[in-house]
Amino acid sequence: MTADTNRDGGAPGEAPSAGTERNRARSAEFFAVLHDAAAHRSAHECARDRLVHLHLPLVQHCARRFRNRGEPHEDLVQVGAIGLLKSIDRFDAERGVEFSTYATPTIIGEIKRHFRDTGWAIRVPRRLQELRMQIGAASAELTQSLGRSPTPRELGERIGCTVEEIIEGLESNNAYATLSLDAGDNHEDSPHRLLDALGSDDENLEHIEIRESIKPLLDALDPREKKILLLRFFKNMTQSQIAEEIGVSQMHVSRLLTRTLAQLRESLHDAS
Amino acid sequence: MSPTGSLTSADGRRADVELRLPADGAYVSVLRTTTAGLAARLDFTIDDIEDLRIAVGEACAMVLPEADPGSPLLAEFFLAPSELTVRVTVHGAEIGEPDFDSFAWQVLDTLASNATAETDGEAFVVTVMMTAEALEPSL
Repeated sequence: MTADTNRDGGAPGEAPSAGTERNRARSAEFFAVLHDAAAHRSAHECARDRLVHLHLPLVQHCARRFRNRGEPHEDLVQVGAIGLLKSIDRFDAERGVEFSTYATPTIIGEIKRHFRDTGWAIRVPRRLQELRMQIGAASAELTQSLGRSPTPRELGERIGCTVEEIIEGLESNNAYATLSLDAGDNHEDSPHRLLDALGSDDENLEHIEIRESIKPLLDALDPREKKILLLRFFKNMTQSQIAEEIGVSQMHVSRLLTRTLAQLRESLHDAS
Repeated sequence: MSPTGSLTSADGRRADVELRLPADGAYVSVLRTTTAGLAARLDFTIDDIEDLRIAVGEACAMVLPEADPGSPLLAEFFLAPSELTVRVTVHGAEIGEPDFDSFAWQVLDTLASNATAETDGEAFVVTVMMTAEALEPSL
């Protein structure tokens, strides 16, 4: 945020309050243009534009207060920016309040409204939304004081409603997000489903031991046998192709391969 | 217990609550809600209720693909103090062995206090048992 507020010419190391002070002055300047009835329309629009840019960090700050609530940060900034626009249009500089003081509740209100109106996958009556929040708060408290999660009966006693209503409220929780546990999230670069994101043992790990124990055995092999193994298993050549390559019959290659492999297997076995 | 879905539990008790639903994923939420309602009346904690809801959903995820089209899903609930057992049964012509490596079973087995899955070629029965934790924390 300081990077943004100090953008215009602040010397490095300058106290942030100086940047804030300058922003305040510029903000007042733009508002003066915006409210100047004599100014041209394009000047109005330009001032409004600059004001939006100037105060965008405030929107980002407000949006960050709602992070980890399941809505993308960018969406919240977008919605918050609408609140910023509204407050720029309604702001009266003569009231003598700071613009940020005036704008913050509007921006946060807009973000909260976004959660209320679009955060829910299924539209839930307001009564239940509120009950759900009460349940959330009460169960946090009770979990703390009881040392375990509360029962619906205990929640009902705390909030002052029936077990039925608690169940209804808990049920409305499930309307907030209706997707299956196994459904993917929206990030393009992440796996499509949760299951795909779960790790498994890397098979290559198991092979390390075998590979390491076979290394010295391979080194001890006769150069021709080694070459045959290499051509067969790394270059994926057929036995006939290998035969041609090293100038022996295919039958001979087959015999050599069988013998080498048997040798390796035996030495591995002896080693373990 | 016979895996054909007779209406009695291991000790021969009749199910306290029975629910017959179309064997279709759309009705699973009804079953989950019923489970939550019953568990709440047995004074389960909301964490346990949530676990049960998920476990029952996964039990359905296991049996539903095996059900014959048009056949019902039978859910039976056995209630006891601090204990709820849910048994879901479907019938199908070609039911293989339960897949104990499946995602559904892993989740189910982790969440439930006890879970079983059995098939006998024409019926697929998954039982989920949940015991409520002792209500007062031990001091």
